[in-house]
Amino acid sequence: MFFKKSIMAGTGLFLSIFLIVHLSANCLLLLPESMARELYNAYSTILRESIVITIVAYLLYLSIILHVVYAAIVTYKNYKASPDRYMMNHTNETSSWSSQNMGLLGVFILLFIVIHMANFWARIKLGLGDGVGFDAAGNLDVYEVTYSLFQNIYFVVFYSIMMIPLGLHLNHALKSAFKTLGFYHKKGLRVLAKISLVYAVVIAVGFGIIPLIVYLK
Amino acid sequence: MKVTFKIWRQDSPKSKGVLKSYETDGISEDMSFLEALDHLNEILVAKNEKVVAFEYDCREGICGQCGLFINGRAHGPHEHTTACQLHMRSFKDGDTIVVEPWRAAAFPIIKDLVVDRSAFDRIIEKGGYISAKTGTAPEANAMLIPKEIADASMDVAACIGCGACVATCKNASAALFTSAKINHLNKLPQGKPEQHRRVLDMTAQMEAEGFGSCTLTGACEVECPAGISIASIAEMNNRYVRAKLLG
Amino acid sequence: MKLDSKIPEGRLEDKWSNYQLKSRLINPANKKKLNVIVVGAGLAGSGAAATLAELGYDVQCFCYQDSARRAHSVAAQGGMNAAKNYQHDGDSVFRMFYDALKGGDFRSREANTYRLAELSAPLIDHYVQQGVPFAREYGGVLINRSFGGVQVERTFYARGQTGQQLVLAAYSQLYKMVRAKKVKMMVRHEMLDLVLIDGKAKGIIARDLVTGQIKRFAADAVVLATGGYSRVFRLSTLAIGCNGSAIWKAHKRGAYFAAPSFTQIHPTALPQTSDSQSKLTLMSESLRNDGRIWVPKDKNDTRNGNDIPEEERDYYLERRYPSFGNLAPRDISSRAAKERIDAGHGVGNLKNAVYLDFKHAIERFGRDVIEDRYGNLFSMYKKITGIDAYKEPMKISPAAHFSMGGLWVDYELMTTIPGLYAIGECNYADHGANRLGANSLLQASIDGYFILPNTINNYLEDALKQDHPGVDHPEFDKVEKEVKSQIEKIMAVKGSRTVDDFHRELGKVMWQECAMSRNKQGLERAIVQIKQIHAEFWKEVRVTGTDNEMNSELEKALRLADFIELSLLMCTDALQRDESCGAHFREEYQTEEGEAVRNDEDFAYVSAWEYNAGDFILHKEKLEFEYVQPSVRSYK
Repeated sequence: MFFKKSIMAGTGLFLSIFLIVHLSANCLLLLPESMARELYNAYSTILRESIVITIVAYLLYLSIILHVVYAAIVTYKNYKASPDRYMMNHTNETSSWSSQNMGLLGVFILLFIVIHMANFWARIKLGLGDGVGFDAAGNLDVYEVTYSLFQNIYFVVFYSIMMIPLGLHLNHALKSAFKTLGFYHKKGLRVLAKISLVYAVVIAVGFGIIPLIVYLK
Repeated sequence: MKVTFKIWRQDSPKSKGVLKSYETDGISEDMSFLEALDHLNEILVAKNEKVVAFEYDCREGICGQCGLFINGRAHGPHEHTTACQLHMRSFKDGDTIVVEPWRAAAFPIIKDLVVDRSAFDRIIEKGGYISAKTGTAPEANAMLIPKEIADASMDVAACIGCGACVATCKNASAALFTSAKINHLNKLPQGKPEQHRRVLDMTAQMEAEGFGSCTLTGACEVECPAGISIASIAEMNNRYVRAKLLG
Repeated sequence: MKLDSKIPEGRLEDKWSNYQLKSRLINPANKKKLNVIVVGAGLAGSGAAATLAELGYDVQCFCYQDSARRAHSVAAQGGMNAAKNYQHDGDSVFRMFYDALKGGDFRSREANTYRLAELSAPLIDHYVQQGVPFAREYGGVLINRSFGGVQVERTFYARGQTGQQLVLAAYSQLYKMVRAKKVKMMVRHEMLDLVLIDGKAKGIIARDLVTGQIKRFAADAVVLATGGYSRVFRLSTLAIGCNGSAIWKAHKRGAYFAAPSFTQIHPTALPQTSDSQSKLTLMSESLRNDGRIWVPKDKNDTRNGNDIPEEERDYYLERRYPSFGNLAPRDISSRAAKERIDAGHGVGNLKNAVYLDFKHAIERFGRDVIEDRYGNLFSMYKKITGIDAYKEPMKISPAAHFSMGGLWVDYELMTTIPGLYAIGECNYADHGANRLGANSLLQASIDGYFILPNTINNYLEDALKQDHPGVDHPEFDKVEKEVKSQIEKIMAVKGSRTVDDFHRELGKVMWQECAMSRNKQGLERAIVQIKQIHAEFWKEVRVTGTDNEMNSELEKALRLADFIELSLLMCTDALQRDESCGAHFREEYQTEEGEAVRNDEDFAYVSAWEYNAGDFILHKEKLEFEYVQPSVRSYK
């Protein structure tokens, strides 16, 4: 139980750090178009060609898989631990909805990741679907992939709305991961709760608002 | 006042249970919830029916024997309150009150509202003690324990073992209970010699009993009659990691 | 039979060591062959079971609750006394012994009470070692506080949960020995009778409270640690399940019952609010340090407490006992409250309470100070009554609390039945006619941890050489049959009244006639009434359900049947003691100011009652005072 939970906490924290890096890169999309295209494409080329980043990328895939697999196992075991449900249950009064529904939120996030990877990863890395051109500097024009996707209002809405479950998941996840790994300083936990909230809001709003801005550009 | 109770009736561990409705009159606001159930049972005896089996002993909030899921909450609507300290003034005339037993795979139902919490005893058995034989103790003041440590130990030692933490947890996790006992003893110098063994053995037993894992929803600390914080669970996790590495 | 208290030779301070030096020993290999039953798993029972198991005996331990951790020792709030003299305030074993003996109004044995004080200091060491988080100073040493009836600070405490913390320590040691497979813990089992073979205690019959099955258990000795019987009054500070059945059954099998009428009534409990009430919650005695107790001067005053002006209030404790005032001892405070309530000055809906007022204390010290001192008690009061005691005076009332009386035991804690021991509150040994605050956790603990494990060898050494009859012995058949037939009989009554209804009736009689103050006519009347209740009970009680399932009505009925018989003995005992001493106050024996008049000339003895087919025969154990001269207790 401790092992599984620690794996989930560890992979979760790793993914949380990745999100910060990912979001800061996305901020490049907010620059004026020519500058954005150049920097964004250059950045993504560096990432693709770096051995270190390649290793990190495989660690990311592994983390996602482990996080999901162990979540499934823990959820199943927890279900077995309380198979009979209460006829009347008001435990929502005692803890937040998101903390009680991390699994459900996780399913939404997983769904999002699949679509997100189909949109980008599959096209850029696997070369599936429409081909990707090059920009003036000779870098693969990843910016164009992004830009064209967010001209479609359905994708914009989908990307923005899916950041809500992500934010809820992260808010509970970040502070809980630390507790699972044994951080128990009482004052520290109160500070941590605030940091989690700020982190979750920044990530969710940040990721959620960029497609809208790109759409309106 | 008049109150309708909807109570879980189940004859034996194997039989199927069902919520049954009972109307009562003559309930007074000053009655404790358990006295209202006593009153209901007297009505049932008058009707020649079997009484509702429910648990109680001290009726002053300290023994931990009473445990009822009342209107969807462990020990009823108030925080940090046992069922025996809940009073009927918390309800209104004409209310319908749903009463269920604790539900967890590790707490099988014995009858009606009575469950078997012996899993808790077995967790204690695996290390919830200090191995000191009677007669072997050194002079009490020979061991200085700073007030902060004694107080912190007392905070978690206050656990009454009622099982509300398990009952209210969506995973039926016994992490709060187990952590309270581990931290009570491991904080104290007397508990240090066996600290790593204690954490590993007790948590192993907790898992073997079929309790779920803690997902830190925090519901337990709201219902805990002794007000034990989930920081205690985090502390247990910490001790577990240390025990794995050092023990 | 002559009562032999087996007091060891030597000076008072040497008696216990002399006893230990001379007592017989059993080698570890032989201890394994011996089996002891311990009934009850509170402080006394758990301590005894764990220690006996550590010594090598095989132990079977019984409790009626779902876990040993529930025993009512958990409810003790205030603390536990020990003569450590950590405060450098002149405490000593002798002073502690003297306080307890005087507090008990000189109705206990010197040697026993001295041993209580003597073993108190090592007991604190023991509990600290077991991990009890006693209150500490910043420097890390243990803190003490003072308690009623003494002038030194010798009480050790763990917040307001001292009892619970000690029980958890004892319970954890018990489960340590369960893990070692030396203790077999039988939870949800209630002892229903004692089995004697050739006059010796050799086993018990118990009912499995889950399945209703009647089971036999054999052993080489039986230890009763079943606590007090104040639930005889129905409304008491005790847990609902507390009962006198085990000791009553032992009494009927030949164990003498000592001073059954000595019952402590605690002055600061919450009052009864209705007939359906099941329990009176205790508020710590410490409240009387700052609260002032009063009633309205006018009997028919129906105003709110706060609206009654000073000049119309009667601070009766301050009026009657100017030097001790609101801190008069428990028995005296309780009686004074009863006197005012009986005179019609009670407050509350049922006019059964007195005010405990913090108005002056809050004015003087500020709310913060009072909150710091009693915050948890005020919030508990609010939880139960819904009233904010910072704004309104509390209503409090006396409630039945502790049984000084119990099975007669000698210095070895053995009853008059060979091989049957009684430890903790269920015996009569150390407290005399009134127990001092914070001495009950102490007595239960030392009986279980220190005394019994030493004295039981003396008996078991003989048992080793004899047969170990098993549960197939014909005596087990016989007793089991009797138990079953009593259950069948009770189930067959199928009358029209609930068990609780009878219990309320019995409780009222006992509370009226055999509680804080007693008189001849009242007690005689009570005996007649109890006999009627007894007859009516066996004609009219109704128990629904069956006897082969979990059935709380049946459990209650069996306990009440014994309470009814026990209450007869309590009244009989109170009637024979023509004096006032400690908690036993006979109205005929008082001074003009209403103070107790003790009669050492005729009553310096422990009454020990023998059961004789529904009747009781009185035996007297004369109390000799060699080291202390009995004096008059005055708190004026």
